[in-house]
Amino acid sequence: MRRITRLLLIAALGVAALVGTAAPAGAVGESVEGCTIEAVQEMLEGKEGLEPGTPEYEAISEETEEAVADCIEAPNVLLPEINEVIWGGIGFLVVLFFMMKFGFPAAKKAMTDRTAKIQGDLDAAEQAKADAEAVKADYESKVAEAKAEAGRIIEEARQDADRLRADQQARLNEELTAARTQAQADIDAAKGQAMSELRGEVATIAIGAAESVVGANLDRDAQTRLIEDYINRVQAAPSGNGQG
Amino acid sequence: MIFGLEFPPLSHIVDWPVFLFEDTAFGINKVVLVYFAAIILTVLVFVLGNQRKLVPTGAQNLAESSVNFIEDGIIMQSMGPRGLKWAPLLTAMFFFIFFNNIFEVIPGVQMPGTARIALPMFLAIFVWFVFNIAGMIEHGPIGYLKHSLIPPGVPVGLLPIIVPIEFVSNFLVRPFSLMVRLFANLLAGHILLVTFAVLTAALWTTEWYAVFLPLPLFAVIFFVAFEILVSFLQAYVFTLLTAVYIDSATSHEH
Repeated sequence: MRRITRLLLIAALGVAALVGTAAPAGAVGESVEGCTIEAVQEMLEGKEGLEPGTPEYEAISEETEEAVADCIEAPNVLLPEINEVIWGGIGFLVVLFFMMKFGFPAAKKAMTDRTAKIQGDLDAAEQAKADAEAVKADYESKVAEAKAEAGRIIEEARQDADRLRADQQARLNEELTAARTQAQADIDAAKGQAMSELRGEVATIAIGAAESVVGANLDRDAQTRLIEDYINRVQAAPSGNGQG
Repeated sequence: MIFGLEFPPLSHIVDWPVFLFEDTAFGINKVVLVYFAAIILTVLVFVLGNQRKLVPTGAQNLAESSVNFIEDGIIMQSMGPRGLKWAPLLTAMFFFIFFNNIFEVIPGVQMPGTARIALPMFLAIFVWFVFNIAGMIEHGPIGYLKHSLIPPGVPVGLLPIIVPIEFVSNFLVRPFSLMVRLFANLLAGHILLVTFAVLTAALWTTEWYAVFLPLPLFAVIFFVAFEILVSFLQAYVFTLLTAVYIDSATSHEH
């Protein structure tokens, strides 16, 4: 941009220099006095020795008066110079044409383009922000989901564990109960068997004893029945001393 | 002659001899060169300003902010959005007048192109044609005359008084005031600067009264700054009034 500024400056200086040098000493230097003196000198040159009153003298003095009057009465500033009107008019029309065809539309277009671009950029940024927010919301919801899922899984695992434990507990109890029942049954069976075996043994021993006591071999079946009856009686008797 | 001061007559400080194409209608003098300079500067601003950069700097900034200034500061204030089509004309007008004015204070030139009546006269007549033709296109020739001469709601009895007043005001005073305002302001500024410059030069001496030198010297400095403001202001006023005249000629409400 500095280059452009310098260029502009050089152009302006160049124009100023051109105008400056082209200006002859028209403005401040020329004064009424100088002009008058010049006019009078010009008129009187080579006219020495003229007598007042002669027609020649009168003519010259009239001419001189006119010249001096011209010096004082310079051109009217309110009347336009034709060349200035023409060049000023052409100049303005050139500027106008340039501005309508090129200068203004170009500057305007640059500005509207910029407006559109900035608006577009802002819109895009807005869109990007909205997108980012959507992504973030999505992410957050997913995180929340994942957390809920994890919680759910842990809860499920805990429930599973609890259930498993309860199951195992129950099975264990069941097994224990079963084992206990089984053991009880086994015991009962063993006891029954032992009892019956014992009973048989006792009967046999009793019979043997009775036989040896009685000395007579009783009918074996009748003896056995007899003893069974006895034992059963004993068994059926008051339960307090029944068993064992 | 006060203090031996040689003050040039009024006509002489704006009188510039033709040095090229003498004795033709196309004679070129210093004032014409100022016109040329104003054309070149106006074109330069917009050519160099045509950078199309996203962040404007330098000449681009100047061109674009002046477009903004013309549109928002002049047109929207006086004509509203329908006046935007006049923006190129008003921009051209503003820049051409401003650059012509500012040569009043450019060292080495120090002559505003608008301190001679030719350019203000041409521009005022141009504006006169522009707003009248625009009005006739908008309302039709008869409609335009009615629009500009007969304010609505005026009793018929008053028309013989109102119509001549409106005619003089709209068709004669407007261009004349435009012309004189610009021309007289710049001529007065030029005379001011010349006056104090001549005074300063006269006091640039070894005599005792040289002690007064600072007064005209500071006056010159002050008036140079002041005339820069005037240059801008007169270009602005001329452009604004052009917009106002076009608007009043083409408006449908009063």
